[in-house]
Amino acid sequence: MRRALSRMAVASTFARSFLIQGSWNYHTMLGGGFAFAMLPGLRRIFGSEPENVDASVERHLEHFNAHPYLSSVALGAALRLEADGTDPETVRRFKLAVRGPLGSLGDTLVWATWLPGVAVLALTLFWLGAPAWVAALVFLVVYNVGHIGLRAWGLRAGLKAGRDVGRLLGSANLMGLARRLQPVVALLLGLLIGAVLNAERGLVDARALWAVLATAGFLAGLFGGHRTWRPAAAAMVAAIAVIACWGMIT
Amino acid sequence: MEIVRLSALGGLLGLDATGVGQFMVSRPLVAGTLTGWMLGDPSLGITIGVVLELYLLVSFPTGGARFPEGATATVVAVGCAMPYGGAGVVPLAVAVGLIWGQIGGATITMQRHLNSRLVPEPGGTRSRPRAVATAHIAAITIDFLRAVAVTFTGVVAGRAVLGILVEDWPLSIPESTGLLLVGGAVSVGILLRDLGGFRRRGVWFATGLALGVVGARFL
Repeated sequence: MRRALSRMAVASTFARSFLIQGSWNYHTMLGGGFAFAMLPGLRRIFGSEPENVDASVERHLEHFNAHPYLSSVALGAALRLEADGTDPETVRRFKLAVRGPLGSLGDTLVWATWLPGVAVLALTLFWLGAPAWVAALVFLVVYNVGHIGLRAWGLRAGLKAGRDVGRLLGSANLMGLARRLQPVVALLLGLLIGAVLNAERGLVDARALWAVLATAGFLAGLFGGHRTWRPAAAAMVAAIAVIACWGMIT
Repeated sequence: MEIVRLSALGGLLGLDATGVGQFMVSRPLVAGTLTGWMLGDPSLGITIGVVLELYLLVSFPTGGARFPEGATATVVAVGCAMPYGGAGVVPLAVAVGLIWGQIGGATITMQRHLNSRLVPEPGGTRSRPRAVATAHIAAITIDFLRAVAVTFTGVVAGRAVLGILVEDWPLSIPESTGLLLVGGAVSVGILLRDLGGFRRRGVWFATGLALGVVGARFL
């Protein structure tokens, strides 16, 4: 006999979703965290049947990966399917089907757009002369409005739509939102460079040589992409070491 | 006592990066501010945090990717810079932070391999709810201890290095800033490429650049 989900069980699942990456591993990836987050809901649904809780936890331990924030969509939908008495194979196939889209959607929206965008906004404020604590506070507040909002929306959407959550995700058009945000982030990035070039805290007092080298670095990143990051960081550490040793010798 | 507090802060911020919350308190901008505040020199903490944030703009904890650990790197950089003064403090601390970011990243990879053995196998004998919850909490605890150890060793090693090199740093503060911004510019270029490159976002980027130059002059 399955019971309906209670508010407490849903709230508990939501709280645990913030720990979903706690046991991330190369074997089942988010599997352990997913089962851990599902536990309050499963205990509620199968309250008087502990063997069903065990069997269900075992199924949710299987390999799963998605963006950590959007995994709340899968959590909500999986809870709904379990509460509705959907057969285990359908739940498994559902999780297999959503993990790829939830991963790429989250990577594009959050990691590639929202996080760098809000960080660039905060850095720009700093270089335009705002007190540093204001920049840090703006970053934390603005970022987490999006972060927590996305997690809460995802869980609610999953619980509401169940297996049809794909349609709901499509109508929410999160990829379109990312595409609309990207020009704004590019504008902020330009604003940041302008501020760095001309602000008191930036390059205005340094020799032109550094501006030329910074332009070369910018172009290397622009044309080389992510593969230039590690060599550039290594070159920077080497340059600092050489300059420090040169200072000791002279 | 200071190093214990720094290590504990590194442990807590290290957790935020992936395992617990991801509220991004672990980003260098915030971690630097918090560390500087804790040690009584917020402006030094913020300066180092801002530079490392610029470097790590394009570094995210995505899936199975290996990424530099910004949280412990920032606590280490600020923690090892604090006892010293002069123009060389920030560049040397940033260099220590960049090295420690890689070391922290390598320990995260090791921890994730360890988690593979810790988390119960589906179909195994340990996959009861209690075992799942215990393994999960144990992995988070180990992650905390890992970040504590990374921060502790980083601050000890970094302070020793800065003690030797900082006195004879030959560049002025503006030149040191210029040097650091060269590395940061690479991340900015990578981010613009991620956003669609100059061809697609050139107008937006150029508009921002003009506004930034004018804004910095008047603000």
